[in-house]
Parts: sequence; C-alpha cells; structure tokens
Amino acid sequence: MNVIEATGLGKRYGSTWALRECSMAIPAGHVVALVGPNGAGKTTLLNLAVGLTAPSAGTVTVLGGTRAGSPAARDGIAFVAQDAPLHKNLSVADMLHLTRNLNLHFDQGYAETRLAELAIPLNRKAGKLSGGQQAQLALTLALSRRPQLLVLDEPMASLDPLARHDFMATVMAAVADDGVSVVLSSHALAELERVADYLVILSNGAVQVAGEVDDLLACHRVLSGPDAEANRYADHLDVVHALHSKAQTHLLIRTGESADPVPPGWKARPISLEELALAYLREPDAASLPGPSRARHLEPTEVAR
Amino acid sequence: MTALTMPAQPKRDASRRPVPWRRMAWVTWRQQRLTVAGLVTVLGAVSLYLLFIGQQARSFSGVAGHSLTLTAALFQVIPALVGAFVGAPVLAKELETGTFRYTWTQGFGRARWTVATLAPLAVAVTVLAGVVGFLFSWCYSPLIGGHYGSNLLDGNTFDLHGVAFAAWTLTAFSIGLLAGILIRRVIPAMLATMVAWSGLAVVTGVFLRPHYEAPLVSSKPTLPSTDWVMSQWWTRGGKPVSSSAIDQVLQKAGATVNGGSVTQSPGSALGNMSPTQYLLHHGFTHFQSYQPASRFWPFQWIEGGWLFALSLLLMGTAVWLVHRRAA
Amino acid sequence: MSSIEFSLDPASGVPTYLQIVHQVEHALRLGSLELGDQLPRVKDVVASLAINPNTVAKAYRELETKGLTVGRPGQGTFIQSTLNPVALPELTVLRRSLLGWLATADTAGLDEEGIVALFTSVLRDFRERQGGSSTRPVAARDASEGVA
Repeated sequence: MNVIEATGLGKRYGSTWALRECSMAIPAGHVVALVGPNGAGKTTLLNLAVGLTAPSAGTVTVLGGTRAGSPAARDGIAFVAQDAPLHKNLSVADMLHLTRNLNLHFDQGYAETRLAELAIPLNRKAGKLSGGQQAQLALTLALSRRPQLLVLDEPMASLDPLARHDFMATVMAAVADDGVSVVLSSHALAELERVADYLVILSNGAVQVAGEVDDLLACHRVLSGPDAEANRYADHLDVVHALHSKAQTHLLIRTGESADPVPPGWKARPISLEELALAYLREPDAASLPGPSRARHLEPTEVAR
Repeated sequence: MTALTMPAQPKRDASRRPVPWRRMAWVTWRQQRLTVAGLVTVLGAVSLYLLFIGQQARSFSGVAGHSLTLTAALFQVIPALVGAFVGAPVLAKELETGTFRYTWTQGFGRARWTVATLAPLAVAVTVLAGVVGFLFSWCYSPLIGGHYGSNLLDGNTFDLHGVAFAAWTLTAFSIGLLAGILIRRVIPAMLATMVAWSGLAVVTGVFLRPHYEAPLVSSKPTLPSTDWVMSQWWTRGGKPVSSSAIDQVLQKAGATVNGGSVTQSPGSALGNMSPTQYLLHHGFTHFQSYQPASRFWPFQWIEGGWLFALSLLLMGTAVWLVHRRAA
Repeated sequence: MSSIEFSLDPASGVPTYLQIVHQVEHALRLGSLELGDQLPRVKDVVASLAINPNTVAKAYRELETKGLTVGRPGQGTFIQSTLNPVALPELTVLRRSLLGWLATADTAGLDEEGIVALFTSVLRDFRERQGGSSTRPVAARDASEGVA
C-alpha cells in the first residue's frame, strides 16, 4: 500500500506554482523524510496530502487510493502542523476531550499514560506549557488517534536539542509499537539519517529524489582523484555533484545495480545521507527517482566551481 | 516491517459512519462558552433595562419616553456589535491562530464542524435578540401617538422591534461569519462586519423599506401621526405645482416662507388661517404619500423574511468556502 | 535494568546498525553479556536512542546471522553463543609476533595508512579463503572498497 501517491500533482497560488508535476508513490511502513529548501513546496505537499487544500492540477491519494481529505483519509491520518497548533486557552484535559469528540478512534488510556510519563499536568492550560511540552502534547493527541499515517510538518523547528530527541524518541516508539507510517518534513539533515528510511527531496516544487535510504546510499559514492583526470571520467559516469580543488576532484556519482570498478588512482568511499541530500540540493537539475535511471552527463565547464 | 514490530491498528470502518453530530455539543460549548456568556450578559442587561423603562412608561410617560428615544439610537448598534463579537471570531480566530490546521484535520471534518459551531450560536443570537426586540415593542407601545412616539414605521425604531431586531442581529452574525472566512483575521473581520452591516441597514431604511408595499396617497389635510409620511406635494386643477410656486403664492398673500417657517406680515390676506388652509381655500389640493400604521406588522414580517433568507445564504456561503479552501 | 545500554556516535561514519552489532560483540568479548541474556526490546532501544526501529531490527538480524543471538517469537532476542575469548598467553604471543611484523613493515618504508591497507587486503583474502561467515570476531568495517 502506498501511504501517499501523487500523480502530476500541482498547486497554484495566484500565478505562482508552489508545486508542479509532482509524482511520487511513498510506500507504507516507512519513516519518510521530506527535505527541501524553503519554498520548495514541502508544506504545500503535506497540506494537500492531509486535505487542508485541494490540488490545482493532478491528483493525490492516501492510504492505498483513498481521496485525500475524505472522511476515511481524515480518520487514518493524524497531522501535526508547524509549531504544533493547539487551543492555547484550553487545558490539557480539555484538549484530550476535544480530540476524543472530534474523532472516531481515540485511545484515552494511551494519552493519559503518555502525558503522565512526560510529566505534563492535565489541568494546565496548553498555552502555559513549554515549547517542548506543547509539541509532545500535539504529538500525543495525534498518536492517541492510532493513525495509519502520521504527518509532521517541521515538528522540531522551534525545539531545543533535548526536546527534539524526546520528540523523535516518542515517534520512533510509536513506529515500533504500532507500525504507523511517518512522513516528516525537516531541515535537520543530520538528525534525519538516524530516523529516516525513505527520502524525498523536493526542489522548486518538483520531486528531485525519491527512494529508500539504504538503496540511495548503496548506489551513490564519492570518487576522489586527480583533477586532471576528472573530465575524462566525468563523461561516462553519472555525476551528481563535483567539487574541485587544485590537487583533487571529488565526484559524487550515482552507480547502477552493480558497482562500476574504481578507476586506477582513484579512491571511493560511501556517502552519508546528509552529504547526499546536500549534493542534490545544490544541483537542481539532477534527479534520482525510482524507475529507469536518468543519467546526466556533465559538461566539463558546468562542473567548474 | 519485521516480526519485531507489532501492528495494532483498530479496525477501520470510517467510510461507513461519520463522527456523530452530538459529539460537537461539548466542543462548541467549550470553545464558545465565553462568547455565549458575554452575549447573554449584554442582552440580558439590555432586557432588564427595557423592563425597567417599560414599567416607568406605564406610570409616567414623559420621562420614560425621553430616555427611550435616546437609547433607541444606542440600540441600533447592538446587532452590529453582536455580529462583530460573536460572528466574526468563529472562523477568523481559527484561521488567524493557525488552530484550523488541527481542528480541520480531525475526523469530524471542517464543513460539518463549521455547521455544528454556527448553528447553536445562530439560534442563541436570534432568540436572545428576539426577546430584546419584543421587550422593546412592549416598552414602546404606550408611547405610540404621543409626543415622543411618532410613527412605528420610522427608521429610528422600526428595526428595534421584535421580528426585525432578531432578523437584523442574525444577519449581522452571518455577515461576521462570512467576513471571518474571507478576511482570515479577527480584528479586520470585526471591522468589516460592522461596516457592511451598517451599509446594509442604511440602504434598507432609505431605499428598500419604503417600497415593501406601494404607498397610499391621500388628499386629506392631516393624517394620524402614527402613519409614516414619505412625501407630499401640491396640485392645482389636476396639475402639480412646485414648491417654489407655492412660496410665490404665499408671498403675494403677504406671508414669507423661510425654510420651514412662515412669517405673516401684518394685514396679510391670510388673516387667521394657516398657510395650508389658505391654499386649500384657493383651489390647491394637498397630497401625501404614506404608509399607514396598520402595515407595521406586515412590514416587520417582510423585512424579517428577506433578512432571514439573506442570513441563510451568507451562512451557507461561509460553510461552502470552508469546504472549498481552508489553507 | 537492561542487559546492555547502547550509545551511538553519529560522527563516526559507521552505519548505526553496525555500531549496535559491534557494541553487542564488544560486550560479549568483555563478558558483560552472557549466554541466555536478553537483548533490549526494539521498542526500548528506539525510545532511548530515537532511531528507526528498522535499524535495530537490521542489527539484531545481523547478530542472528552471525549466530550470536536467536530470536524467540513473542519473547525477544537472546544471546546464543559467546565469542570465545582468546586465552591470555596466546594473546601475548600474538602481540609479540605482530610487533615484529610491524617493525619489518616499518623498515620496508610502509607508513601507517599503507600498513592498514595491506592488512585489510590480506585479511579479506584470508576470509575469502576460509569461505562464508564464521562466528569468529571480525573487526573490519564494511565500508571502503577501493584502495589506492
């Protein structure tokens, strides 16, 4: 089952296309990291998936073909928007009551146990909680609905490192317990490596990279070698990003199913998720999508930095 | 996922049954209770005041009549304030604070949430305003025909009576609701509500209300003061005479007309007659177009009716807009 | 009190699942994990480290493939065999012979990187000749492929 499936999805605000020709199929049972620069369309994509807005072009379905925003979709998806919106003047207990009344499924026991573990008092107004506590409360409310898909829009942007760790620990424990799929958009690339097993990179409103993290890391590597030879090899290697210096060139290449032999005099090393994401973000024309690989051959001048 | 994770999803049959409407009863109460409390307090205070004044009016009509006429002007703002403070924040607050991203992604659904929130408020607003309106009518009835009580259909007080007051308040509420979804910010929506409502009230009073039914024309010299005179004119021999011609005739007779007052010079042909009687003696006929006082209740129902329809239209539009585009 | 507490070094460049595998092996070598001990539940590891459960699952699978652990459905993952610690006299002999070899390599002009590269390459040949996996501790990283 695909938790989010988009076909030619586009969204226009006025005359600007926030998202265009966006196609992807995100499988269930993964923790998906949605990465991209500001304005790339991450929030728009998530808003479309949870049904807060309607597409201008194309379609988006969730949870195995259900229309986004339909009652069945709303029932199975829990959304925590940026800055964890809560009714600030309601108490924590009131927020629980509110969420319970607005949904078919609500696990009161889980919610109360979790809040007790987090030492969040039930009678305090939501607005008086700390930032980390508010995020945890919003997350608890979402998870208490026992969703099939949890969507988080930059959930940790305003949290301190300890709060961030606790937040992700809660999410991961829910994944371990319930098998809930998670889609989270984030800027914190370094932290994503530990939690994400599927990566989607959005750039300029289109999908640039989509795939399982293990596969992506297995088919990319960095070749380091003499600068003079770089152009010779760059022609028939699928180079994503190149970094030149006087002595050495580092080429981030994408290999096929079988690893090409390393050219003599060159070293190869594997790549981290953060490096991979940064390289693609720096090269808006490159792409790594499931399906026939899109080889891109660099002109020598293009590569110069 | 491997065997180490334990799927534990509850059975999903959401497509077959939506979240029941009655669940929203607590939600609406909890989210709107301050607003409702404020509404009850303010309109309750107004009702008590009217009760007090009404008692007085039945004992000493002089004092009561004076204060009632003054407060009538103040009462005119109540519907606009209700619309701004009760209607506008319903949607605007969710949008401005961003909580719509929480509320409208829950299982209940945003169009249904909007309907379930506005319905109790609309009913409360209409009922309470109706109570105030009928108290006003009761208060006002001893004064009709008296020195202060001019006519019932007069724009100063017509919309404060029973049916019209409830309808105007409901309309203000619906304008507020629509302004909330269009403008998305609380304070601007409140201001827009008051401005729009005031505009509608003025247009209705000046252009619409006089024409609910075709006005009657009478040539009787005087009409009961409870009737609403809309315009008057003179004719002679079947042909209309302009007011400047009338002035000339009077001047020839020795009376000068300054604005609304007539000064007679000594020895004028008028003698002891009023200018009107003089003109009537000399072949002029006076016509007035008016709405008789008996049309008060029909007009109330006409006005209440179209305002009610307008309110439904505005509320429906607001719900439709919520359904169409939230973010 | 859980049998072992994992800690991660995000900057080491070693994949997370491998770090977990190594820490279990290290504990076995030190004797702090014994036969029959239960490894922490996936959920508990994930709740304390905030990592993807699949990573933990992958590590536990790797340990099972190596024969070090066994998973009992509904109960958890348990230590099945220990890493035979090498006896102290043998260790001393091995140390001395290794020092001798290092001295020879140094004389031949090999620098530290060259020594590591040579050792890794010979170790790989040795493993290939041995054929398939074994329960002996393997310290080499899965990482680099090409070597100058």
